[in-house]
Amino acid sequence: MSLKREVYEALEAVVGKRWISEDEFVLSGNRVKTPEVPFFYHTADAIIIPGSTEEVQKVLRICNENGICFVPLVSGVSAESFANRAGTVLIQLSRMNKIVEINGLDRYAIIEPGVRHVQLYPELRKRGLSYTAAAVGPGGSVLANFTSSSGDHHNQHNASRSNRYLLGVEMVMPDGEIVRTGSLATDSGWFCPDGPGPGLRGLMKGYFGNHGQLGIITRIAIGLTPCNGPSEIESGGISPNHYVRMISPCSKVYVFNFEHIYHVRDAMLKIGEAEIGATVLKYFYLPATLMMTNSANEFHEKWNGGYKEALSMPLVVHLATQSEKEMAYEEKILFEIMEETGGKRIPREIEKWWDEHMDFFMIVSRLQSVLRLGGGWMPIKLGSDSVTHMCEIGRSIGDFIHDFTDTGKIFDAPENYQIIPMEYGHFAHIELLVNWDRTNPAAGKGIGELRIRSRNNDLENKFHAETTGSLNANMEALGPLYSNCHLWLRRIKEAIDPNGIANPLM
Amino acid sequence: MDKLKKYEYSMDSCNHCGQCKWILPPKMHGWDFAEICPIHRYHRFDAYSGQGLLNISKEVLNGKLKIGEGLEKVLWSCTMCGACDVNCKSVRDIEVLETIHTLRTVCAEEGTAPESLLSMAKKVEETHNIYGESHDKRFAWLPEGFEDDKDSDTVLFVGCSAYTHPEIALAAIKILKAGGVKFRLLREEEFCCGASLWRGGLMADAEKLISRNMALFKEKGIKKIITACAECFGSFRGIYPRFGAMEAEVLHITQVAAKLLEEGKITLKTDGEMQKLTYHDPCMLGRLSEPWEAWEGEIKPYGLHVPEKKWRRGFDGVYAEPRAILEAIPGLETVEMPRNKEDALCCAYHSRETDGDMSACTAEERIREAKAMGAEKIVSACPFCLDALSDAMPMEDISVLLARYIEEGGAI
Ligand SMILES: Cc1cc2nc3c(=O)[nH]c(=O)nc-3n(C[C@H](O)[C@H](O)[C@H](O)COP(=O)(O)OP(=O)(O)OC[C@H]3O[C@@H](n4cnc5c(N)ncnc54)[C@H](O)[C@@H]3O)c2cc1C
Ligand code: SF4
Ligand code: SF4
Repeated sequence: MSLKREVYEALEAVVGKRWISEDEFVLSGNRVKTPEVPFFYHTADAIIIPGSTEEVQKVLRICNENGICFVPLVSGVSAESFANRAGTVLIQLSRMNKIVEINGLDRYAIIEPGVRHVQLYPELRKRGLSYTAAAVGPGGSVLANFTSSSGDHHNQHNASRSNRYLLGVEMVMPDGEIVRTGSLATDSGWFCPDGPGPGLRGLMKGYFGNHGQLGIITRIAIGLTPCNGPSEIESGGISPNHYVRMISPCSKVYVFNFEHIYHVRDAMLKIGEAEIGATVLKYFYLPATLMMTNSANEFHEKWNGGYKEALSMPLVVHLATQSEKEMAYEEKILFEIMEETGGKRIPREIEKWWDEHMDFFMIVSRLQSVLRLGGGWMPIKLGSDSVTHMCEIGRSIGDFIHDFTDTGKIFDAPENYQIIPMEYGHFAHIELLVNWDRTNPAAGKGIGELRIRSRNNDLENKFHAETTGSLNANMEALGPLYSNCHLWLRRIKEAIDPNGIANPLM
Repeated sequence: MDKLKKYEYSMDSCNHCGQCKWILPPKMHGWDFAEICPIHRYHRFDAYSGQGLLNISKEVLNGKLKIGEGLEKVLWSCTMCGACDVNCKSVRDIEVLETIHTLRTVCAEEGTAPESLLSMAKKVEETHNIYGESHDKRFAWLPEGFEDDKDSDTVLFVGCSAYTHPEIALAAIKILKAGGVKFRLLREEEFCCGASLWRGGLMADAEKLISRNMALFKEKGIKKIITACAECFGSFRGIYPRFGAMEAEVLHITQVAAKLLEEGKITLKTDGEMQKLTYHDPCMLGRLSEPWEAWEGEIKPYGLHVPEKKWRRGFDGVYAEPRAILEAIPGLETVEMPRNKEDALCCAYHSRETDGDMSACTAEERIREAKAMGAEKIVSACPFCLDALSDAMPMEDISVLLARYIEEGGAI
């Protein structure tokens, strides 16, 4: 299908000839090409690259008037940024890429969608600031992360989740109207997330964008945190053998391994109670090994050569303190907790990798290496609740996953889940990561089945383990477990986007 | 299509993460100077990137996209700089650049190569240089009476660029003479290295020329090739081994010069002017010069390459020696651009004919980056980078710069 000539011309008149295309080879760049993806994707009718909020408004008006669906995207890494039905245009926001303001005093930054983590992070560090950067990699959109993704990240033990830091939002609705939330709505600046009355932030911010999306977000302000580390991090070497060192007596990473997830749970809770540690996470052992290696071959060698056992149930703890005295205190407490809960330091030759790759932004930037093993990769669950609840879910993964690991449908790493506590253990997030080999067509087929088994396990146990996600079927199944949120989401979507054109669900 | 099929694993392994478009995190600098793919930076559509070209390759392979219906526009817009490849391979085992190149060869075989490329190939065929200049004049710039060591098994390969930049070849000669290095020139037997043909995807032409050159090196008993040009260097190390074993050791003049300086075999004047400069890494001296090794094998489940593959990830390019030379020259202050070494931004010279606006815009960007770091001059080691960047900012070839400082044995 292609756009009617008059529609194409109207869109072209808004953005200019250079910033719209329906050439097949251009569309190809944003088509899903991977054989294992379990969904059927369509081809977009056109890709449009607007340069301003005004242009976005005009483009959406044209879409709305002509019943054309739109999908906003920046880097396009997520499964929700492709055309998922016929009659869709992609709205690529990479030209809207300004850091509008960094306010060090009030600690917020106003950004447009096209600003990437690898741009914002160093700008903030120069100013002694930081933010909750997720693990998507350097080219991911900060805005998309804050507004349209879980926002979970590795430092949330003390920094909390990124959605806590979403302040003012400017959003273009499907009919072209601009909605501004928080104090922004009354022209009172970007600082306050919710103004008087109900918080619109919650409506707009679904896990993957609310029910698809409600519109296009053109600017947000995010809250910043002070960063006591050095303004520039020592780095060197040539890729892939870079080193990134944070040489400071006030920054140390320890990695412990445990026998059982319940012991990890106890350790997490005690660390939280003691209010020590910047980062605490029960990490996935597969990505941990991948991140420490430079090729799939090296991975297999290390994985089979002891890493699998050494990191079978790892807890990574980053202590970042204001003074050496405080470091000594935190270390003392940490080791006492490990003594009580049975955490054993992993071999130093593995642990020292962290010293050469700090800080956590750098570490998570390497997370893309999880796709090195033949490419197939899927996060499952992604829910949040108490630490205890999350660890129970972690334990129960073993109830169904062996049917997949033992039969070679997915990589044999049954404990490959992470649990990251938030806000000193008041909350936690879980993610089960499965890898399969793309070159094996049968393997990809098992993924749908695994998702269903995982979901059924949650439903049977009333686990708050999954997100409702962007799949209609998932929403229907899980909604009742979450106070029928799916019904509310649908009503909001119908009210705000009656024509259902804003990134409709798959 | 069989050629393209070889890279299907790479095409399928890409998940649109975008690392091929953005600076590597250990080099991150700020909002500015964060993009590393010239064509994506200019065009913005994802098709214009390593990732996009993998998508396009896959769709050509499965018949969804037809050759000759426009994809050539993006394919030959690409500068083949390899930044996407290095960045992707910082976290992946994917052959981005090899896939792009293979798609070029497939399209060229189907007769869709751009006119400018075919015309250049014709010039090479007829005159043995990329400019279509008379072959007789290849060494016309040599001072009268210049003597080389005809029996030497070391050759100085000056490259086609000596037509346009004889000063680089002369500087290389001055450095070698000053350092007491014995070498010979191939004179009328020196033909183009073939890099432009290979890069363009004209494999038959490239193979013919490269095989001829390899046979010549063998016949002359050449044990060491020193190149004055980054393009020839990258070509001998990264391209030639695809056509047979390179028996001669290949060195760039900067590697030789850095060693001579280290060993005290050349001494430098101390009264040079004070200058703040920055070094621009040419792709063909840096990441693309990493030696190529054949790999034939099987990709087993979960990415295991059997036998183990030696990946070209940009690690083994020439980065340290040019910097050591600049360090050794008195009075110079060198500043690094954020996009440096294996992650340097290409000057985009090689797409001048096929995507002039993008090429000009990229050169402007590189100059902006140099100026933003406070540099008064760019120094590089490639005649093509010189042509791309020198219009808008003072620029000098590193050999020429070094030769100006050489104290003894200056005259050739
Ligand atoms: C290896 C890997 C690890 C990841 N780890 C994490 C993690 O730890 N935490 C986390 O939170 N996420 C994580 N993600 C998901 C990722 O962070 C988010 O998808 C991210 O925000 C993607 O940014 P992007 O530029 O790729 O956005 P895109 O893929 O382009 O878009 C993401 C979503 O946002 C929507 N969107 C984009 N721009 C706008 C806009 N302006 N207005 C409205 N909607 C918009 C898109 O339609 C799409 O649904 C991970 C992804 C990968 C591949
Ligand atoms: S080519 Fe590599 S770096 Fe680029 S999107 Fe694909 S996987 Fe990521
Ligand atoms: S080779 Fe260079 S220009 Fe071509 S896609 Fe890769 S980074 Fe972009």
